[in-house]
Amino acid sequence: MTETIYGWLFDVYPNETNLTLWLIGEDGKRYRFVQDFAAAVYAAGPERRAERVDEAPRLRELWKWLEAQEVPVRLSRTERRDVFQGMVTVLSAEVLQSARLDELFRKMVAAFPDLTYYDADISLPLRYAAAFNVFPLARCRLDVRGETVISIVPLDTPWELDPAPAPLRLLSLEPDCDPAHGEPKAITVAYERVRYSLPLEKTTPLLASLHHILGRYDPDLILTSWGDTWLMPFLMKICKESGTTLPLNRDENQAVVERKEHTYFSYGQIVYRGRQVQLRGRWHLDKHNAMLWNDYGLEGVLEMARVTRQPVQDAARLSPGTGISSMQFVTALQKGILIPWHKHQAETPKTAMDLLRADMGGMVYQPTIGLHRDVAGIDFVSMYPGIMVRFNISPEVPRAGTDLEPAPGEPGIVPMTLAPLLNKRLALKSALLTLHRWDCRRTTYQALVSAEKWLLVTCFGYLGYKNARFGRIEAHEAVTAYGREALLRAKEAAEDLDYEILHMYVDGLWVHKDGCKTPADFEALLADITERTGLPISLDGVYRWVVFLPSRVNERVPVPNRYFGVFQDGSIKVRGIECRRRDTPPFIAKTQMTIMEILAKAEDAEHLKEVYPKALAFVHMEMEALRAGRVPLEKLLVSQKLSRELCEYSSPSPAARAVRQLQEDGKVVRPGQRVRFLFTLGKPGVRAWDVPEPPDLRYVDVKRYQTLLKRAVETVLAPIGQSVNGGKDKECPYLFPVKNIKPLGEGGTQQLDVHNLSPDHSFRNAIQGGEH
Amino acid sequence: MGRTLPSATQVFLQEQDSFARFRRALRRSDQLALDDLFTSARQHLAAAQYASHALPFEVFLLSMLLEEHKEVMRLRQQVDELISRQK
Repeated sequence: MTETIYGWLFDVYPNETNLTLWLIGEDGKRYRFVQDFAAAVYAAGPERRAERVDEAPRLRELWKWLEAQEVPVRLSRTERRDVFQGMVTVLSAEVLQSARLDELFRKMVAAFPDLTYYDADISLPLRYAAAFNVFPLARCRLDVRGETVISIVPLDTPWELDPAPAPLRLLSLEPDCDPAHGEPKAITVAYERVRYSLPLEKTTPLLASLHHILGRYDPDLILTSWGDTWLMPFLMKICKESGTTLPLNRDENQAVVERKEHTYFSYGQIVYRGRQVQLRGRWHLDKHNAMLWNDYGLEGVLEMARVTRQPVQDAARLSPGTGISSMQFVTALQKGILIPWHKHQAETPKTAMDLLRADMGGMVYQPTIGLHRDVAGIDFVSMYPGIMVRFNISPEVPRAGTDLEPAPGEPGIVPMTLAPLLNKRLALKSALLTLHRWDCRRTTYQALVSAEKWLLVTCFGYLGYKNARFGRIEAHEAVTAYGREALLRAKEAAEDLDYEILHMYVDGLWVHKDGCKTPADFEALLADITERTGLPISLDGVYRWVVFLPSRVNERVPVPNRYFGVFQDGSIKVRGIECRRRDTPPFIAKTQMTIMEILAKAEDAEHLKEVYPKALAFVHMEMEALRAGRVPLEKLLVSQKLSRELCEYSSPSPAARAVRQLQEDGKVVRPGQRVRFLFTLGKPGVRAWDVPEPPDLRYVDVKRYQTLLKRAVETVLAPIGQSVNGGKDKECPYLFPVKNIKPLGEGGTQQLDVHNLSPDHSFRNAIQGGEH
Repeated sequence: MGRTLPSATQVFLQEQDSFARFRRALRRSDQLALDDLFTSARQHLAAAQYASHALPFEVFLLSMLLEEHKEVMRLRQQVDELISRQK
């Protein structure tokens, strides 16, 4: 008898032969079902355009070989589209027991290594999502017979702004201290308002209590701290030792899934991914091993899962790059486009001149150093993804020129994938602008926007990534070319309206015009830019003042991304200075941030001279606290990444020296992992934080911290001080605003009424870097 | 990342390096003036990149000239102000 059930799709994973499905029913029950699901792999022979498979001898051999296998397959010959080569004749092998696909495919490749394979390494949950257009936490209608799913129909899409929230039961488990630093003594268990603390010393009562708690609350999600790296392995170990079991999995037929730690190199940085422990029938998320948890939290993780269609436990731990690839795979599967297993796409030949013109990134200007008042920061909204969608930039779409015209024809796979995501983000952003300050949707929307931002950002990189299945360098170059054109058009629009350009950075520009202080003053400019470029642009905000900082090495050389400023609502924006760096000790970052908060109290640049002494007094106080040893040690911790194996250092960095101390203590730190340490007196100058003996307060290298603090303070206060007191920046020729120069042809000299300058005026000049 | 050609900044540093022997033989005071010229060329790296000129040093020379001319205009304006004040 067929039954119909409504609910939220919780999880999908392979069992021995097919798929297991979990559903949170609208009745509050948790259901487990199984479903037969076939997955197809395609193979093309060396003769791609053969009329029939029997004209391709290798494919025929493969056909015979597949028929002889024990795994049941349905074979056929079809035509499908390869993004780079057009229609190709392929042998389609539908594996009826999809869970055995990997096993079969491995054998197939070993027997027929010369064939080209497609759709081979796509995970089953993704295939399932594509086949039925579902996603994690999709509201669904299921027709079931007994334990078997007959059909599944989604009732919403990932693009919904306010989806009906699934009633998730959340249990959190947390050791009472960082296991890398000390030996935890207890675990804190929390469910809604109930909290327990379970001591770790006696394992039998601990396991009994946990067993009871898991049984009683039956959580959907176990949220842990250090669960991947310490807690779950620890629990599984003591279970094994005491010969008991713990119902961590809801699916008792499946084992807990463990993945090993690994280190890799990406975008010039070494990245460490810790060990993973995934559950079946429940989710396990580790706050410390989830990507960008601090940025967007659980809501962001769920959003990642919804839009990328990756299972939640994977979505939390995967990089946004994998996320965007999954989205493209789903589009490809749904549109019948082949996903190459290995890509063999080489860059097309170019002339040297073509290369010279094409091989460029976004435009990054050198800002005008110094303090500027009443500056508008305007940004193109999601510029690169916007360009891809609007101008139809995709690896398979041919194009020419940079005329800011959409490429003709059907949207390519990249714009097709991105468009709904981009539209959702724009909708959320515009909703955020209108929502009331206290609206409870604000934080959710913010988390969603931030999660989606990472997907959109990576999408551009993947377009140029040679190993990305749908990457192509020409498409990548086209995006930057359009970006440069758009930014220059924006600059021209601003200059035509008499704005002074202080800085431009890839997708944003900073402009000033005397008398323009409120968002309304810049509306005409925004409208003009949108008209000239066809891309949406928005006002990031109007700064009361903003400081563009010079390079540390040469104070006359500006650096593009080192600035701080205060918006009209008093909020602070900071880029590239100490408090944004992850290796700055918290005490120094906090001091720098507090200085900026003090400065932000000035209602405009004119009033900076009133708050400046307060900031100085605060610095004095903090310096004194540091000298007197009143700063807690954990606030002085420096946290740095180990960039290579210890033996590869020729002269060990402070981080490497700290790691050596940890090694002597039997702890392992892998490249890409962070190590926390204090600067101490004498040799070796550092002390790892995670060695067991508590550090001695007297050995802290106070001088070194004073230097660090002084540097951080100077970064912020030196430019303000120069503006307040009138300093050497008045003499700096590079600050000379061009608008005061009369073009040579016009003759005559400019008159400046030097006698009628008010003191106030000279202050403004000091701030703006000297107008005369 | 993954660039085939060096960026404008890299080209600039190479060009500057290629004058190391020239710079070494200059008097200390002249060395500082030369450094100043290079610093002023750095102000226009973004434009130099966009120009994607086959001979980048020409663009750097023009950038130096540009900053020099701005300086001349600034000084001329100051002189004019001083003269008008004396009148």
